Amino acid sequence: MKRHALTGWLLLAPSLLLLGGLVVFPILYNLWLSLFDKHAFMPVQRFVGLQHYVYFAHDAEFWASVQYGVIYAGSTLVLQLLLGVSAALLLNEAFRGRNLLRGIVLFPYMIPTIVAVILWKWLLNDSYGLVNHWLLAAGLVQTPVAWLGKDHIMTSLVITSVWQFFPFVVVTYLARLQTIAPELYEAAKVDGAGAWRRFRHVTLPQTRNVLFVIVLLRSIFMFTKFDTVWLMAGEGGVSRYVRTLPVYAYARSFTYLQAGMGAALAVLMFLMLLAVTAAYFRVLRDEEAVA
Amino acid sequence: MRRRLALYGGGLVLLVIGAFPLAWMLSTALKPSGEIFATPPTLVPKVVTLENFRRLFAETSFLTYFTNSVAVSLATVLLTLSVSALGAYALTRFVFAGRERIAGLILMTYMFAPIMIIIPFYILVKQLGIVNTRLALVLSYTTFCLPFCLWLLRSFFHAIPLELEEAAMVDGASLRRAVWHIVLPLALPGLIAAGIFTFILAWNDFLFALVLITSDELKTLPVGVNDLFNATIVDWGMIMAAGVMITVPTIAFFAAVQRYLIQGWGAGGVKG
Repeated sequence: MKRHALTGWLLLAPSLLLLGGLVVFPILYNLWLSLFDKHAFMPVQRFVGLQHYVYFAHDAEFWASVQYGVIYAGSTLVLQLLLGVSAALLLNEAFRGRNLLRGIVLFPYMIPTIVAVILWKWLLNDSYGLVNHWLLAAGLVQTPVAWLGKDHIMTSLVITSVWQFFPFVVVTYLARLQTIAPELYEAAKVDGAGAWRRFRHVTLPQTRNVLFVIVLLRSIFMFTKFDTVWLMAGEGGVSRYVRTLPVYAYARSFTYLQAGMGAALAVLMFLMLLAVTAAYFRVLRDEEAVA
Repeated sequence: MRRRLALYGGGLVLLVIGAFPLAWMLSTALKPSGEIFATPPTLVPKVVTLENFRRLFAETSFLTYFTNSVAVSLATVLLTLSVSALGAYALTRFVFAGRERIAGLILMTYMFAPIMIIIPFYILVKQLGIVNTRLALVLSYTTFCLPFCLWLLRSFFHAIPLELEEAAMVDGASLRRAVWHIVLPLALPGLIAAGIFTFILAWNDFLFALVLITSDELKTLPVGVNDLFNATIVDWGMIMAAGVMITVPTIAFFAAVQRYLIQGWGAGGVKG
């Protein structure tokens, strides 16, 4: 019957070993590595101090990647929220086939990124894609749009990403919507509030906190997104028009084989996220103090 | 009446957004090559053929990638569930100094995106001598699923009254038997939810597979299919067939246990 603390530690040991060895240690090693000039495969390394950080401060490619990252994360965030919240509000109403639809809406989020990407590359194909066919048929464009060319690759990437990730917003928002007491809506109805005012004065205040979490998580996830961006544009060609920070860090490490520089970019990425998160918490807290 | 019309209209739009691209993938995969490029495009294939699937299996290494993905994903699920069930049990049933702080720290490791540690991770795996092995993939996926699974199972174990296992042990059952026959069956929905998350993460991952695996015969589906896509002029029918083949296990798995998944999802959210 007695439960020894030692047994507890033993049971926890495999988890701690894995997390310590494969997450915590690499995080610290990454910091260390960012101070060295190191080849990705060869054992040679040379201490350079903060030189990499100084380099990136003047590196046009770095600033471009930050800019692309902000454009990508910002636009996908807004569109995911609009689509996801509307879908959740709809799926919170009672109608036939609702449960089936709740399942189907999750599909884009469940499938591997590679599938989402090849699927949208096919839909957006310039010669045979369905999207161009419909745009031409509807007379909206005169010539096929080169969706995957340099002018539109960012738009195509945003479309693909919003489609892939809006179900996350649906599920999290819907989970909170379901816990709002029906009495609140009934009281608002008695007061003669229409649908928009019920949303504005009941739903929105009630779901404030979950929206906060969704915005925070989605911005972090989108700003650190690698696979969708990399698969959509590859390494050469149009890739430089969507080269976000994670892709740039990957290219530095595994294409140019400059592991130290890649590590420095990872640290910078982390610091930016930290700063934005802290600022976000602060703004929210001040807002709450005012309200 | 207008309200109902709006509801069903909205539902239809949502159905098209969620399902149409996947239906179009299936439709393309089942068409003969002439029909794939026909103008105007046919939404439902006029002629249904499995030719694209035959070429996929006969002329590419798709089956190898598929087998690798199945092996790696299942091994990851097994390892993650064992490790996290032990850990979560320790975090709920044993009292020791710093327990809650450790639980908090574990959650913090969840905040690090793989791309932020992939470089030191790669160097570490290389030094351990397991670069380019399936083991490296299983260990990476297990580690990245652990924080979420530990927290999920912890909340499930919390909900099971301690008295149940104590009663069994008063009746003479060992701790191990009490856990095996009483605690784990009661936490089954949690185990299933954690298992599905783990499976999907391992099945879908691209970054670790890209960095850690170099031999073609060890590649998993996402990287393998990306190679097929980039190899030559795109064979759209065959690529869509590959897409269908990768998607089916996920959706089948998911459909089978959807209600557990929603439950677990509400409990903690998922990464990505």
